[in-house]
Amino acid sequence: MQSEDMYSKLADFGRELLEKKSFGEGLPHIVSYAKEVMGADRCSVYIYEEENDKLWTTHSDGVKKIIVPSGKGVVGYTLRVRKPVIVNDPYSDVNFLPDVDKKTGYKTQNMISAPIFDSNREIIGVLQLLNKAKGDFDNDDKRFIIFFAHYISGFLELVAKRKA
Amino acid sequence: MKYTDTYIKLADFGRELLQKKSLSEGLPHIAKYAKDVILARRCSIYIYNSENDELWTTLADGISKIKLNANKGIVGQTIRTQKPIIVNNAYAHPNFSSAVDKETGYKTNNIITTPIFNSKREIIGVLQLLNKDEGFDEDDVKFMIFFAHYVSGFLELITKYKITKSKNNEKL
Repeated sequence: MQSEDMYSKLADFGRELLEKKSFGEGLPHIVSYAKEVMGADRCSVYIYEEENDKLWTTHSDGVKKIIVPSGKGVVGYTLRVRKPVIVNDPYSDVNFLPDVDKKTGYKTQNMISAPIFDSNREIIGVLQLLNKAKGDFDNDDKRFIIFFAHYISGFLELVAKRKA
Repeated sequence: MKYTDTYIKLADFGRELLQKKSLSEGLPHIAKYAKDVILARRCSIYIYNSENDELWTTLADGISKIKLNANKGIVGQTIRTQKPIIVNNAYAHPNFSSAVDKETGYKTNNIITTPIFNSKREIIGVLQLLNKDEGFDEDDVKFMIFFAHYVSGFLELITKYKITKSKNNEKL
């Protein structure tokens, strides 16, 4: 994609995102955009609550909450290493939890995740994408997810501040 | 916390900012908003070029550029320490450079600065405010840290996809 188009698309997305008043409204919007722009089949944004060391996310409807223990899986690993993580062969990765696939019947083939930092460099969430349509996740995806996680972090921190 | 009401209005500001198509359109918009919210008389956003260790900013018209050596003054100190700085008595501070005051005829009494980081935690700019009547305090620092991060998404977006478009070898 031409970078000029990319600029307009991302700016439009950012403006739409800033119309959302809560995590429940904003997260599904981020998810659908991230999936499209990165060409992945699934996406989740996990919000990290430091007080009780928990991660939560919403169903695609933006309403129902799913709570995830923060010490587990590739998402938990991302929290600990504070860096993006690519797993292109999950079933042979020590951090991967096959339980979720078993429960949902969905097969994870590859994944990328990145921490989302606030202005004080504290982790406020993890962005995760599953099953890229073409090939494996690579360094270009990593560069983009770092940029994108930062780009949405302003909105996420703003929502958190408004609630406080 | 004196900035509580501000967070409610920041979404509108962010949406307006994302309509700007260039740094020279965006910087005056950021400067004006920061000045009004933090109640300072002046605001500058310096864009940092690490290749030649130079900073530049635009005048209020968004057109004329001013260049600055990045190792001078309080702004230079902000780049080196990578942290916000409050100086409530400018002329008594060893790093304060009075050269700009001499040139512009404007007297600086107090200063607050904060670095602006991109997604890779590299400094891409410095946000600076001058002359708040009652001086700057810790609440101002906290808000500046938040605000610098908040505008960094726009600054990185425009730098990544607009200015560097000539060397268009990066994917996306």
